[in-house]
Amino acid sequence: MASVAHPEATRRVRRLERIWLERPGLLGWLTTTDHKRIGMLYLFASLVFFGAGGAEALLMRTQLLTPNGTTLSPGAFNEVMTMHGVTMIFLFVIPISTGAFGNYLVPLMIGARDMAFPRLNALSFWIFAASGLFMYVGLATGNGPNAGWFDYVPLASRTYDPGSAIDFYALGLIFNSISTTAAAINFIVTIFKLRAPGMSLNRMPLFCFAFLAVSFALVFALPALSIDCVFLELDRRLGFSFFDPAHGGSVLLWQHLFWIFGHPEVYIIILPAFGIATSIIPTFTRRRMVAFPMVALAEILVAFIGFGVWAHHMFAVGLSTITTVYFAAASMIVVIPSAIQLFAWLTTLVTGRPIFKTPLLWIVGFIVFFIIGGLSGIMFAAIPFDQQLTDTYFVVAHFHFIIFGAAVFPLLGGLYYWFPKVTGRMYSERVGQASFWLTFLGSALTFFPMHIVGLLGMPRRVYTYSPGLGWDGYNMVETIGAYIVACGLVLLVANLVVSYFRGAPAPDDPFGGATLEWSIPSPPPAYNFAVIPTVTSPYPMWDPSDREEDARKLERGEMVLDTGHETPATSVLDANLDEVLDMPSDSPWPILVALMMSGVFAMLLTGHLIAMSVFLGLLALVVGAWHGEEPEEVT
Amino acid sequence: MTSATVAKRRLSMPGGWWGAVLLVATEATLFASLFATYYFLRFNTAQWPPPGVPEPKVTLPLILTGVLLASAVPVLLGSRAARAGNVRLAWLLFLVALLVQGAYLGVQIHEFLGDLDRFSPHDSAYASIYFTLLGVHHAHVAVGMLIELWLLWKLLGGLTRYRLVAVRVAALYWSFVSLVGIGVVLTQVYPAL
Repeated sequence: MASVAHPEATRRVRRLERIWLERPGLLGWLTTTDHKRIGMLYLFASLVFFGAGGAEALLMRTQLLTPNGTTLSPGAFNEVMTMHGVTMIFLFVIPISTGAFGNYLVPLMIGARDMAFPRLNALSFWIFAASGLFMYVGLATGNGPNAGWFDYVPLASRTYDPGSAIDFYALGLIFNSISTTAAAINFIVTIFKLRAPGMSLNRMPLFCFAFLAVSFALVFALPALSIDCVFLELDRRLGFSFFDPAHGGSVLLWQHLFWIFGHPEVYIIILPAFGIATSIIPTFTRRRMVAFPMVALAEILVAFIGFGVWAHHMFAVGLSTITTVYFAAASMIVVIPSAIQLFAWLTTLVTGRPIFKTPLLWIVGFIVFFIIGGLSGIMFAAIPFDQQLTDTYFVVAHFHFIIFGAAVFPLLGGLYYWFPKVTGRMYSERVGQASFWLTFLGSALTFFPMHIVGLLGMPRRVYTYSPGLGWDGYNMVETIGAYIVACGLVLLVANLVVSYFRGAPAPDDPFGGATLEWSIPSPPPAYNFAVIPTVTSPYPMWDPSDREEDARKLERGEMVLDTGHETPATSVLDANLDEVLDMPSDSPWPILVALMMSGVFAMLLTGHLIAMSVFLGLLALVVGAWHGEEPEEVT
Repeated sequence: MTSATVAKRRLSMPGGWWGAVLLVATEATLFASLFATYYFLRFNTAQWPPPGVPEPKVTLPLILTGVLLASAVPVLLGSRAARAGNVRLAWLLFLVALLVQGAYLGVQIHEFLGDLDRFSPHDSAYASIYFTLLGVHHAHVAVGMLIELWLLWKLLGGLTRYRLVAVRVAALYWSFVSLVGIGVVLTQVYPAL
């Protein structure tokens, strides 16, 4: 719909613009329910947390540059180390992948005008932002969580960690889980119900399959974490005895529940990266993904198997042999769906005509790091190997290759890939490639030597080490690598910021992408699609006749839905048109609900139960007001 | 076109219903974690309940769960009546359910407080999970009653498509809360069996 020349068509587009207009200015951002603006809010907030988590990483690496470093005190190191993990996982990777990329792109890829529950979507963002601030208030007031990101009891019990550091952790994560659960449910319903007519499940982009798998994993994984944190708070604040062996409790209970959440979490972190890879590879190789159905199934299988492998994080705690053997075997099975995807990407690259522009470079870097991190992962399924190397830097090396190399690289590639769509400007290709190479080489330099110091026996989470153990040179290289990564990332941000103001104007479809987001103007209008598209394949942009038909429909006024704030709902499997929905527009209630919930959690933390009840009452009032507004009946 | 006919003509369930299914899924996982915790702690201990803690009552909890299950019937019938377009009947049925559930919750809270007097969650892991499991289930009943109250108020203004989805969501939620009640009560009375 690049050219809207027909007078009737112009009139309809104007009307859509009027209907979907939101409040201007700051108030507009605070009350927005537009999935694209919420996506941008998520992006900026998660990048701020990424900056904080990165600064924490650099602080740790500076401390470890030489033996007996004095940059951080042991206590400060523990806080910084814990907050680095919590931030990167809960406040950066999940929010940027589901929150920013998912929010912005899923509705565009499936041809919808918004998420299924736009106000819930806004609520998810505000709760996420509040929960992140909540935990950082802890750090700022000298009560930063300090027992590691997996917070094992008894170290995290009141006896060994008095004060409120762990309370900030437990309450913050419960708060954060509410946001993530709401977002996951929203994605599933959006993908089930709002796909454009004709986009049956087998024609849905692989990106959306990845997000569907992630969302299901979140729905079933997060309750274990939340209930674990509830137990911890009951133990710490009210003197319950869940984790107290003296009264029949068990410290292993914490570990089991944590990892029942924690291992699916690993796939939750990496699946969005797989989704981004399956978007970028076809575009830059000019061919369809090899083995589309296998890749879709593998994405879902990874999320599913992730629930049966949690105890491989616990091989060193003294579980029975039969248990460890089962979990070792189950962990090896994960190799199968991962390899299916890996070989599908490689085959697509090899049999296509790859153009190594910046986004594809990040994906190639991702594949390299995923192979390295994946191979060291398989090693851990061997129980004796795991027992030897658990809690050493070898583990740190493994999961940073996976989490930074494999999960974050595609996110950064995705930032470049969709930058023209979101801003309407092109980024600088030369600076983009430079930022990739700096980050790639810096990461290898930072994380590869960690394998070696791990094998040499350096334990993880230590605030310093003695000279003469053979670790000094490796640690120095790692720290230098970390600063090179930081330079690469600063270059990336600078590239995007400068391009936002000075970049060349971007066409609607600068790369010849395959999915529907490239069919609309850059940046996308508030209503996304002037005509609800009809889809006949998983690569709708490579079906030019369908897109020409969309343009003719705009002239005829079919599927324009310009009588209200409307989007169609379709059936779950076949995406047959079911009904037209009246969607909510901007609303003050989500941010107010998030504020009241913040009040409740803050009062829980400080123990002011009366004030907490007041906030609960206010919360009920605001929720009631929210539900006082009902949608129009569209016939 | 009335909301009831639109609901019949739909090819698939509306988004609000799917949202509620997923909420129930995540809540069911929460209860599964609680049950798992209960039995995990139980098989870590030789004596369950530990010495000094009385065995749980059996008859009253079972009867109460029967009442809770029975109270889901008017909710489901009410949902069916609303789908047929009979708002008045639906309203009455929800009121009946609300009253029964109110009585149920009243007795349960009385029992809960009585148990707190007899043994404390400070003393044992048994008591910790006992009170947590029951407390979480009672909280779910209370939330379900709030939803019904809200529905009763909304239905006074007649039926819309939006409210019809809300009615079905409430019925789904109550089916879940009363069914999970079976698991809760069996776990609760299990040491005395």
